[in-house]
Amino acid sequence: MLMNAEPIISVEKLHKWFGLLHVLQGVSLAVLPREVVVIIGRSGSGKSTLLRCMNFLEQPSSGTITIDGLTVNVTLHAQPNRQQIFALRLRTGMVFQEFNLFPHMTVIQNVIEGLVTVKKMSSEQAIPIGEKYLAKVGLSDKRDVHPIRLSGGQKQRVAIARALAMEPKVMLFDEPTSALDPELIGEVLDVMKALAHEGTTMVVVTHEMGFASEVSDRVIFMDGGQFVEVGPPQKIFSDPSDPRTRQFLERVL
Amino acid sequence: MNATSLLVPESEEELGRRLMAYERRERILSEARVGFVAVALVVLILVVLFQLHFSLTKISNNFSFVLEGVGTTIYVSLVSIFFASILALIGALSRLAHNPIANGVAGLYVSIVRGTPLLVQLFLVYNGLPRLREPLTEIGVPASIAQLLVLDAIPAGILALSLNYGAYMTEIFRAGIQSIGIGQREAAQAIGLTPWQTMRRIILPQAIRVILPDIGNQFIAMQKDSSLVYVFGVWEITYRANKIARTDGSYIEMFLLAALLYWILTIISSWFQRQLERRMAHAYER
Repeated sequence: MLMNAEPIISVEKLHKWFGLLHVLQGVSLAVLPREVVVIIGRSGSGKSTLLRCMNFLEQPSSGTITIDGLTVNVTLHAQPNRQQIFALRLRTGMVFQEFNLFPHMTVIQNVIEGLVTVKKMSSEQAIPIGEKYLAKVGLSDKRDVHPIRLSGGQKQRVAIARALAMEPKVMLFDEPTSALDPELIGEVLDVMKALAHEGTTMVVVTHEMGFASEVSDRVIFMDGGQFVEVGPPQKIFSDPSDPRTRQFLERVL
Repeated sequence: MNATSLLVPESEEELGRRLMAYERRERILSEARVGFVAVALVVLILVVLFQLHFSLTKISNNFSFVLEGVGTTIYVSLVSIFFASILALIGALSRLAHNPIANGVAGLYVSIVRGTPLLVQLFLVYNGLPRLREPLTEIGVPASIAQLLVLDAIPAGILALSLNYGAYMTEIFRAGIQSIGIGQREAAQAIGLTPWQTMRRIILPQAIRVILPDIGNQFIAMQKDSSLVYVFGVWEITYRANKIARTDGSYIEMFLLAALLYWILTIISSWFQRQLERRMAHAYER
């Protein structure tokens, strides 16, 4: 990891309220290019909200988000405009817990939807790109089926290909294996590992501690809307300094 | 087949096949029983009618005259359901929009239409609108435009039916659109689609499959409600039946004939609608 590189993601003093709930309490995070950051924590700790604020699926209450040079600032009085949000979303790819493939489209149509509708490519231009990323997740043979014909693991791999096809600067994974049967988790993690080894910048919210310790450069433990502990996985998993981290790890490991 | 053959099958597959055949026989039998009751009831009603000097010849003499109204009924219903669907789509999108003007206009439209009788709406369109022509020309609206308010019977009927069904179907369309999970919207937004692109490319194509069988239901209801346009003198089923009945008092015969024609139309439409429902249920299976 290059410690002197400029961060590609920079989150500063991010706050999010849901009504009276203060779910993100001013968190700040810098992610370097090619870095893999894993966020762990109990449900309700704010880890998914943090991820969803990065591409404005959730509008932050206040704070600053910078991704690949584009800074979007939110205060109580200054809302970002649509163009900024769209530009931010083009820099990020997101993978959801529930896959959220488009059921009325075939696999290849799912993968090229963004290219055709957002990037205004013709099908002839988009299909080779889509096929490239389908091959990358090992599903070229499922090109023309509808998602209903796929297993959960295959669906998630198509969802990854769909996000990659837009060639985002960073990938955000929101509990990508939590909805999968145990025997299907491996194939999705394998794809994610391969991406990490290629140098994809990734922020991953997950309960897969094995993946975290094997692949990540940094682990963040969140609790109550704050970062409790941040460090390399070896440190976090073998010698956590905060009692809350220890308690959490004892329960999940 | 004897009793023991069911107990001692040659193979698992054979047993399965026998069970399927048995279940199928049972199903057909129970359907036959229901059908028998229905037929028996119809026969009973006919017997009573004939006892009361019901005249079959009056029906047969005027059958083709009333039957010719079926085309008009279908035409009015089809065109009206088409325009109603367009209105409902616009209405539903407006109701779901954050724009207060669109939302307010659509909300008022639905509220007024649902709060007033269809017959009153029909009279307003056919007899009420033309009354606006003269006052409008007096305040300087070109006569050619004011003249548009004076509608013939069939266009007036179609307009009123479309407005009426469009309001009810607005709620159907809205529910259909809302039935598509939030995850679909989020996935579309995450790859950069705008809200309108998300609606057009992701939400509506899925919602339409939810809505289509309901449009079928509305069409079936419309076929019957379209009988109200008889008050403008549109020569559809009800008008024709009434026309004959008034000359010779054969109200029972003529309106039973009209009822029978509507019933058959409904049965046919229901069959189509079931096929549609079945196809929608098996969507995306490739």
